[in-house]
Amino acid sequence: MNDHQKFTDWTDKWLRNELTEAERLEFEALRRSDPVLAQQAREQQQLAQAMQQYGQRIDFRKRLDRVHASLDMDAIRQEAGQEAPVRPLHRNGGTVRQLWQTYRPILAVAATVALITTFGTLMLVRQYQSSHKQQEQYTMMRRDLQAIRRSQNAILQDLNARERALQMNPGQVAGSGFLLSPDGYLVTNTHIIRDADSVYIQSTKGDIYKAKVVYADQKYDLAILQVRDDSTFRSKTALPYGFEAGPSDLGERVFTLGFPREEIVYGEGYLSSKTGFRGDSTAYQVAISVNPGNSGGPLLDEKGNVIGIISGKQTATEGATFAIKTNYLFRAISAIPTDSLKNNSIRMSRKNGLAKLSRKDQIKKIQENVYLVKVFKHEK
Amino acid sequence: MTNPYRLHLSDDQLLAGLANGSDTVLEELYRRYFPMVLHLILNNNGSEDDAKDVYQETLIVLYEKVTTDSLALHCQLKTYLYSVSRRLWLKQLSLRNRNGISLMDTEDVASVDDDLINHEARDRQFELMAESLDRLGEPCRTLLEDFYMRHLSMQDITEKFGYTNADNAKTQKYKCLMRLKRLFFAVFKEE
Repeated sequence: MNDHQKFTDWTDKWLRNELTEAERLEFEALRRSDPVLAQQAREQQQLAQAMQQYGQRIDFRKRLDRVHASLDMDAIRQEAGQEAPVRPLHRNGGTVRQLWQTYRPILAVAATVALITTFGTLMLVRQYQSSHKQQEQYTMMRRDLQAIRRSQNAILQDLNARERALQMNPGQVAGSGFLLSPDGYLVTNTHIIRDADSVYIQSTKGDIYKAKVVYADQKYDLAILQVRDDSTFRSKTALPYGFEAGPSDLGERVFTLGFPREEIVYGEGYLSSKTGFRGDSTAYQVAISVNPGNSGGPLLDEKGNVIGIISGKQTATEGATFAIKTNYLFRAISAIPTDSLKNNSIRMSRKNGLAKLSRKDQIKKIQENVYLVKVFKHEK
Repeated sequence: MTNPYRLHLSDDQLLAGLANGSDTVLEELYRRYFPMVLHLILNNNGSEDDAKDVYQETLIVLYEKVTTDSLALHCQLKTYLYSVSRRLWLKQLSLRNRNGISLMDTEDVASVDDDLINHEARDRQFELMAESLDRLGEPCRTLLEDFYMRHLSMQDITEKFGYTNADNAKTQKYKCLMRLKRLFFAVFKEE
């Protein structure tokens, strides 16, 4: 028996714990002193363990086979069937359902986000629109006179009896209007004379005449008035200004006369757009400062031609006043039933005698034909 | 339905019994959890034989874990067995070249990665030992098995194999062991 074999034998005994205490100490001392032997012992240990585990597994498998063979497979199959509701788990059949089951939580989250986003956006847009709408309001430039009744009474002291009677029951709404023809036809806005019991016009000189509504056009917001048979109203031979139905150019210098208060007020500006409020093609946009009471006043160009009728302004925007184009004034007039005119057609002139005058002289001539329109209504 | 379990053993009792080699515990493990695994395999493109193999290997994983590593599980025994079976079956399916597999789970799944890595190492060692022993041939194989696995004494072996004395038997065992060592470590060390 050589040394190598003897050491192997020792190692076997060491692994099986068959060494005496003295032998064990000697063996361990030997291993510590000789790394080659130590390595040999380690390998033998590894090999023995591998064999042991191999044997264990073989044994265990045999036992498992035995146990498995003794199983009541029918009972187990039955239980496996009841283990959980049978689902179609084969890949071909269950793909959609499988995908659905896998991604259901993600889908739920995605759907929630989509819903919130959609409705959130809708709400925001609606809110923005409504707030925007409020800002972008179109204001009709008529004037409510109730508030200033007292000051009027205080200011106008030397009234004749007729005027005094009127002042005791002052108009509730006021606007402007101007003569269409020398024989007493005037134009103003429908929104001024709406629901009127009676309409009076007042000249710059303070003369007051009763007027009748000949025609009120809702579509263009234009109303035609006629001075009632009144001996004090002196028909003129001709009006100083003419009516220009053709389109005016952007940048045209324009001016207006109106009654934002009891006194006539002059305003000046330029044509800023060929369309009115929200693209309304029946009106111009004018950069001119107007106030309640200016509605119904004439819009005139440099030469003194009437190119429009002031009708309103946009509240939130600076200098956006709107004036109805003269062209639509003609349309409104031609729509008047002949009965209403009592066979007296409105003779409107395109002739203009102001072209060469200075602005101050133009105004002097025009202002006699611009009237303060006062409207009386039932107290509601 | 009446409770089919005759024994009411806790997880720890089952594990201890398994480590001690109790057949009763093995039967209990089969009765309790094999239906679950059978259900899993049958519903995922497997047969009853597949289920048998998978569950057997699962129990081997558990057995070798409790005999070599520790008795402690980090989850319920049921969950552990399900998770291991599931992983083993997934591996089988991928070996069978089924791509894009996703199993339909009916139970909770726990992470058993570490245990399966250990198991794979043991698998390699087992295969290597089986191959080495095959190539060793008789009577060496039986001799070594008797000594190292069945722990027979040299005296018993001398008598069983009809050697004239114990020293002859020891010499024979030594030679066989040296051959096995060469066969085994020739591959084992490379890995």
